[in-house]
Amino acid sequence: MPGATLSRWTMSYFAAALSCLVAGLILTASGFGYPSTAIEDPESLAVIHLIAIGWLGLLFAGSLLQFVPVLVSRPLETPCLSLPVLLLMMVGLGLLLTGFLGLADILPLWSWTLPLGGSVLTLAFAGLLWMVTKTLAAARPLPLPAKFVALGCAALVGVAVSGLLLALPLSGVTANRYLVGFLLEAAPSHAYLGLVGWMTVTAIGVSYRLLAMFLLSPERSRMTSRAVGWLMAAGLGIVVGGILLAGSGISSTATIYLATAIGGVAALIYGLDVHFIFRERKRKSAEMNVLASLAAVAMLIASFVLFEASALSDLPIDLARPAAYLFVFGWLTGLGLGQLYKIVAFMTWLECYGPVLGRAPVPRVQELVNERRSSAWFLLYFGATVAATVALIAAAPTVFRWMTLAQLAAICALVFEFAQARRLAIVPQEIRLPDGVRHPQLFLPSFKGSSQ
Amino acid sequence: MLDPFEQQEMTDRVRRQLSTIIDPEIGRGIVEMGLIYLIEINAEGDVSIIMTTTTKGCPAAGFLTDAVRSSAASVPGVGNVEVTLTYEPMWHPEMMQS
Repeated sequence: MPGATLSRWTMSYFAAALSCLVAGLILTASGFGYPSTAIEDPESLAVIHLIAIGWLGLLFAGSLLQFVPVLVSRPLETPCLSLPVLLLMMVGLGLLLTGFLGLADILPLWSWTLPLGGSVLTLAFAGLLWMVTKTLAAARPLPLPAKFVALGCAALVGVAVSGLLLALPLSGVTANRYLVGFLLEAAPSHAYLGLVGWMTVTAIGVSYRLLAMFLLSPERSRMTSRAVGWLMAAGLGIVVGGILLAGSGISSTATIYLATAIGGVAALIYGLDVHFIFRERKRKSAEMNVLASLAAVAMLIASFVLFEASALSDLPIDLARPAAYLFVFGWLTGLGLGQLYKIVAFMTWLECYGPVLGRAPVPRVQELVNERRSSAWFLLYFGATVAATVALIAAAPTVFRWMTLAQLAAICALVFEFAQARRLAIVPQEIRLPDGVRHPQLFLPSFKGSSQ
Repeated sequence: MLDPFEQQEMTDRVRRQLSTIIDPEIGRGIVEMGLIYLIEINAEGDVSIIMTTTTKGCPAAGFLTDAVRSSAASVPGVGNVEVTLTYEPMWHPEMMQS
């Protein structure tokens, strides 16, 4: 039967990811790392990697395991790697953070932790890529959303390799001249490959399918969508060129600005695509996950505008770092939380009610969540994110910390809502537990059934 | 052996039974949504159903086909039930009953 199955470990990826997000925001709100210290300081690097790998990396990895099979209508290849990849990502991140905290004199400095952490993470990403690319390769010719995922995979190779090369001179295990030059110049390109190349490109591709699916909008292969893909690929090509020259001491600033400009145009066209999908929808009432996605797309465009403003203007204020903050928390995190709101409920529904569908009355997916309450948390989250970005631009650190506290409160409330969905707490009592239905585990698989 | 009139009557009963199955995401019956392309019943009461899902690769596809199979089999007089999942033609929102 053509189709996808339930990814066994995805909920565990999400739980680990949310834990890292909460931890990262607690650190930021308490004044640890950027903007209390410079962005290149080890404290800041620890928080940045906790968010980038711990939160976003685990979120995207868990989502890929569930949604690549949906994109290509085939089961995931080698799903037995899902748990090892999760464990390797957590161990690798732990080692990486230990290394950064060692450089910050908070923990003893063991120079091997950074390169070892980078190696373990590279191994984890290799496992993830093996599962995803093998599934994609078996499904050729690929539909457009899957092509975006394939491009994202190529960027993931780049971000893993560049991260490993950055870890070597940063930890002090080598003073190789090329690698030291690489360390001084390649960090922005490394970030671009991860945040734009892997995550944004993947999110855009998957959203073409999911938005059309949830809004009952016709799935069209638009010329604009293909243009978004080509522009993103061009931007990534330029960044890769810049990163190769970085070791020779050639500044990658120009390539980053050029790639960002191209990425900005792609983001604008993507915004148009989202507008078309929304306008052609058959389902008139947009649910919270769609509204959150729309807010996130607006923040994606806004962050590119800020980046360009920082490149083109001579204003004596820092716009690039606030733009990066808006990109990570407004676009990627906003989109991630919005999709989690739907995915957690949908996967829980499949796990609990799928097997009794047609044999007993079952709730709709929407009946597993409290939309009214959740919309208040999303409003708080997006409002606080915009306010935190403005506080960064205005160089108002106290306001920024209060706003990150508000973001943290909203995220904790949303985590509570996700847990309520998992516990079936909102489902009307009379249809909550039909015969044969048991409460699911909060974030571990049930170890029963045929899911992967 | 069912005569053509009885076959038609049983087809209607199966269709009514299937209309109680909801699409979990949309919350509307799968018959109303146009996900059931064909119901055929032969003289022996064996049922053949061709259906689809709103999107190819839908993770609920296996559960939906199982639900259709067991729901059709629960109609009195129905013999074997065969359910085929197809994406030709692909479902599109205009197939929903307004």
